[in-house]
Amino acid sequence: MFIRMSFAILWLFSSAIYAKEQTVKIVDSAGKGHPNVVIYFEPKQASTTISDIAPAIMDQIDTQFVPHILAVQKNSMVQFPNSDSIKHHVYSFSAAKTFELQLYKDFKADPLLFANEGVVELGCNVHDWMLGYIFVVDTPYFGKTNAKGEWVIDLPEGDYSLKVWSPLIQDNLESLTKEVSISETSSTLVINLAKPMLQNLHQYEQVDEFSDYE
Amino acid sequence: MRVINLSFILLAVLSTGFAVSAVETKGLVQVNYVFADGQPSWFENGTGILAYSDSGINVQQALVEVSDSYSNGISFSIIANYYQRGEQNLGISQAQLRYKPLMGGKVRWRARAGFFYPKISLENVDLGWLSPYTYTQSAINSWIGEELRNPGLEFTLYSPGRARRSAYSWEITGGVFKGNDPTGTILSWRGFALHDRQSLNNDRIPFAPYPTVLDEQQVFHPNYVEPFHEFDGHLGFYLGAHLDYFQKVKFRYYYYDNQADPKAISFERLYAWRTKFHSFGLQHNINKNLRFISQWMTGTTTMGLRAVFVNYDAWFAMFSYKLDRHRLSARYDGFKVREDDFMPNDLNNSNGKALTLAWRYNLNKAWQVGVEQHFNQNFAANRATLLEPTEIDQQQSLAVLQYRW
Repeated sequence: MFIRMSFAILWLFSSAIYAKEQTVKIVDSAGKGHPNVVIYFEPKQASTTISDIAPAIMDQIDTQFVPHILAVQKNSMVQFPNSDSIKHHVYSFSAAKTFELQLYKDFKADPLLFANEGVVELGCNVHDWMLGYIFVVDTPYFGKTNAKGEWVIDLPEGDYSLKVWSPLIQDNLESLTKEVSISETSSTLVINLAKPMLQNLHQYEQVDEFSDYE
Repeated sequence: MRVINLSFILLAVLSTGFAVSAVETKGLVQVNYVFADGQPSWFENGTGILAYSDSGINVQQALVEVSDSYSNGISFSIIANYYQRGEQNLGISQAQLRYKPLMGGKVRWRARAGFFYPKISLENVDLGWLSPYTYTQSAINSWIGEELRNPGLEFTLYSPGRARRSAYSWEITGGVFKGNDPTGTILSWRGFALHDRQSLNNDRIPFAPYPTVLDEQQVFHPNYVEPFHEFDGHLGFYLGAHLDYFQKVKFRYYYYDNQADPKAISFERLYAWRTKFHSFGLQHNINKNLRFISQWMTGTTTMGLRAVFVNYDAWFAMFSYKLDRHRLSARYDGFKVREDDFMPNDLNNSNGKALTLAWRYNLNKAWQVGVEQHFNQNFAANRATLLEPTEIDQQQSLAVLQYRW
């Protein structure tokens, strides 16, 4: 993901002037940072198109989607490999991308195009506990927060809308949007959540070795 | 035979008219060396409650599962088994067509049809309804494997917890079936046993020639049962409820009633037995390595005009510990059959307790070795009618080599 994003940025700004790094933090009312939150800067200037780069990867490992949240730029291709020795049946009913994909053992499915912005919620019709997200953004400037709730990016000068997304955020996402102007100085942008994040049900990732799921 | 026909029809339907698919074939073979205690088992028309009478090398399990699934949510699987022991050596243990439509939402449904097990057991979760824990299965599930199968339909409503942002997932399931009329026979005469021999589609389970059973003036029944016959045309049913906390704790309740007419009788003089039970199952994955599994079953079965009426209880508690490629399991079983009927000469009381200890080691993904030691003490009142001691202690040691693909 980060390699892919880096390529996109390199391509786009090979002739542009870079500002110093920008740090974005997501903190709740207790000052705690939150990981795995998608952050993206939508430029006000002319929109950018995606380059011809390798598809992003949404893998299935130990009957889980890996990564749990994948952010991609609009018009990206996403590959769905199956690293398990059993079959999966991945689907989405989301408006941004409705599809189903039979992932047989040792079967390599063609990558899919994600041409619409928004949230794509993934499930598996074989393993009901599997849940994953593809979040499609219309900008090359995106990433996810680290364990401290931080994300760092070098951005070219300009005006942007700074936006965030996570399935666990309860705040109105519009209210979290910041209009920012990037100059040639480093800055730290903090997004404060007014409401607590929803509980992360990560225990679903502790999969029983044996089950009678077919 | 009916099941085989059904299987061919399913295959024919599924092989036409569907898009991308990939038939998957899995298999498993277990070969053992058994140190037996010399007590003849029911396979030899004896009264022992363990599968092996004599020491030696055996094919313990040999099975192939063929399955496929389609993008419309339809899938099928057929499991064919070879058994060295028993009357039917080659046959089908399960054949089912499943429909699980692709759907979002908090409450979803799925259905299956064919010849299959209700999901009563938390123990039998390996390929081919085998146990990944011990080779000799619990008394409860040894009996289910022998006499219970669902040739019928099952409908399930289920709610995956993650779709509701909840730690709890639930299922409610109901099935209707035919062809389980003699279910209960083996419990009433032989009693509970501990083994891994599942009955095949057209199987016959022998038992000892108890004089009161064979006597034309008394029960007048052959000393075998063919468990999957239909005599009375009645539909049996079962209802089940599952509740899971993540995948850490699993609870299952099932109520089974074959609704058989206990006066119905076949030309072979096999009876329909009205068999009902409640089953409660609990699994707790205490941590990543250690799990606890328990099950309790309580029920009744009756035949004729209360010629035989028994109530039965069985339970087990098992701890299983996994360390790297090793799995150690220890299970304690208790079981009891009590009669309350109009034929006091035909003795049906039996009971017992058993301890099973197993170590299984995965050499790699395909090969596994293991050893198991089993002890039991059991009582069967009708051994007296064969001039045998009613109480016996049994032991069995197994060394098993397993290959799966």
